[in-house]
Amino acid sequence: MDPLILGIATVNGVIMGGLYGAVAIGLSLIFGVMRVINFAHGSFLMVGMFTPYWMWALFGVNPYVSVIVTAPLLFTMGYLMQATIISPLFKRERAKVLEPLSVLMLTAGVFLIMDNAALLLFGPDYRAVKMDFSLKVLRFGLLTINYARLLAFLMSIMITVILSYFLASTDLGRSIRATALNRDAAALCGINVPRVYNVTFGIGCAVLGIIGCFMVPFYYVSPSVGVAFGIRSFIIVVLGGIGSIPGSILGGIILGVVESVGGQFVTATSAVIFSFCIFILVLFFKPTGLMGQRV
Amino acid sequence: MSNQRICVLLLVFLTLSFAFSGTVSAQAVKEVVVGFVLPLSGGSATIGQQTQTGAIVAAEQINMTGGIASQDGAKIKLVFGDSQTKPDVGSSETERLINREKVSVICGAYNSAVSFPASEVAERYKTPWVTTGSVKDEITERGFKYVFRTCNKAVYDAKEQLEAIKLFNQETGKGPRTIAHLYEGTDWGRSHAANIRKLCKDYGYELILDEAYPPGQVDFSPQLLKIRAKKPDLIIIALYTPDHIIFSKQYLESKSDFPFGVHSVGAGSEDPAFYKAVPQEAVEFMFVQDDWQVDMLEVMGWARGANKMYKERLGFDINAYGAQGYSNMWVIYDALERAGSTDKEKIREALVKTNITSGPALITGYQKISFDENGQNTFAHGVISQNIEGKKISMWPLANRPAYAKVAWPVPAWSER
Repeated sequence: MDPLILGIATVNGVIMGGLYGAVAIGLSLIFGVMRVINFAHGSFLMVGMFTPYWMWALFGVNPYVSVIVTAPLLFTMGYLMQATIISPLFKRERAKVLEPLSVLMLTAGVFLIMDNAALLLFGPDYRAVKMDFSLKVLRFGLLTINYARLLAFLMSIMITVILSYFLASTDLGRSIRATALNRDAAALCGINVPRVYNVTFGIGCAVLGIIGCFMVPFYYVSPSVGVAFGIRSFIIVVLGGIGSIPGSILGGIILGVVESVGGQFVTATSAVIFSFCIFILVLFFKPTGLMGQRV
Repeated sequence: MSNQRICVLLLVFLTLSFAFSGTVSAQAVKEVVVGFVLPLSGGSATIGQQTQTGAIVAAEQINMTGGIASQDGAKIKLVFGDSQTKPDVGSSETERLINREKVSVICGAYNSAVSFPASEVAERYKTPWVTTGSVKDEITERGFKYVFRTCNKAVYDAKEQLEAIKLFNQETGKGPRTIAHLYEGTDWGRSHAANIRKLCKDYGYELILDEAYPPGQVDFSPQLLKIRAKKPDLIIIALYTPDHIIFSKQYLESKSDFPFGVHSVGAGSEDPAFYKAVPQEAVEFMFVQDDWQVDMLEVMGWARGANKMYKERLGFDINAYGAQGYSNMWVIYDALERAGSTDKEKIREALVKTNITSGPALITGYQKISFDENGQNTFAHGVISQNIEGKKISMWPLANRPAYAKVAWPVPAWSER
């Protein structure tokens, strides 16, 4: 196998993988802090992509600029979802030590409602933003890197860095980490646990909003666009370590590279097997994921 | 309210509702329930919606002109089941339509992966199934008695593509030696791949790349890299709409040169939503195996009435999939007329004897609809069109090519465009 081709495949894989990882960050955070498996994760991404699309289609706003609207919108949606839909369930099952499994069903229900509401409102058509910028590429011989994809990758890295810093150094970030470690102890220390939960869900969804704005220039929008990403996010979260932000990006990059490089040797349908094999191996030898802490 | 009172009220209510339902049904015009199983959500939702609209327009026209004459003017009632582009859901929807909605005949399901199991369900329940849009050969090769197909089989699609290449080769003296094939990895793509593999041998081309991918691909750069490394003369692609959008965009970015062009066997490239989402340069000079005559509305004026009703609902002109929905509804109506009843056996026998040589059912551009002993309409065919300056022009068969048209063959390199 030509090393040049392998090199190019790896670069493509890293760029795509970084993007997958960024999408998975929210899921990782939400699960790490609240032990809630958010089945509606893909649906929030879909909203995070429809918002910049409609702002472009109706008002001519550049998708990158619409981050200032999309990110707060998604934050609010996530905050409200936790505050009004999920937390009553938490309060009712407070006596249980483990988080209630019924939350899983609840988020699955939200996913169904959101995807089908979008289908009802917008129809099934695939739409795309048409921008001159979307077509610009960086060219090095056989290697072509689409500028929009590269930007999305760089934004993924930036989100990772900022979020890690936020969690490590700010008071709110430390409250979030404390709640993730032990919710009752955190409450005893005077941390407002329900508020922390709300904010965490909000942050998880806001990340999706930002990434959505960066994906819209090169991808398409449709009510079911979140499904493929949602499924990959679950694999990445477990692979990279639950609750670990850098772990998400790492897991995403591994997945992206395996798909891209594996696809050079076998067909893409078979390359998926490699991804799952690595997933199983990691679970076997390090069940908490590559960068996960002991739960 | 005491329990006794509730019981009495319930009893009165039930009696009344029985009485009224009796009178209402005696006065209502009879209805014939026709079921459609289509992807109304999921990856093929746009195409499902187009087929659905075609069927609705046809049913409206039939009902407006007096319904089914041989059944006392009974009206057509359409019931739709959403397959969600999933085989298991399509199969359970088929069962629901047969058992709960009591349909007399079913039409479905566009995706080969759905039609294959769902038609087997229909066969088990002895309900006639008219296939729309699914080309997997095996659908009409199982010796089933209740399954019919008006459209192309996969082997027809593949043959048309290669015949067109042969024709262009003969006309210009230049042709490809090596072919690459990229296809979606479910029933439809694999069906096409099996046929391409066989026909390439027959026609004397070398198939240097045979590449499947799982549908819902987010990034085609690994595949494009692989293809470009092999340097084929010509590439054949079988992609559904979302994948086709991403592929065409990335193909444009990569500015890959294939001397004898990109040949798409339909699905995504027959969906108007695809052309809206992709810049014109990405599809320039692309060949498409269209399941119907693309210039139909210019050639057949009578289709304009149906097109107007269709356009009012969806906002764009009727396409291959709208035409299939429309045509199949008329085929079913024709069978219902000759059957004279909603008995499934009579409908099946009427379908077997179908022989349509004129009328709205031929909106798809065929000259005839008649099923062979396997239920396949052997008179189905498509056209191969080329996209020149934003307009799809039929280039094959020669009989369908407009006088002014000239094939761009070999296809100009990116540097010359």
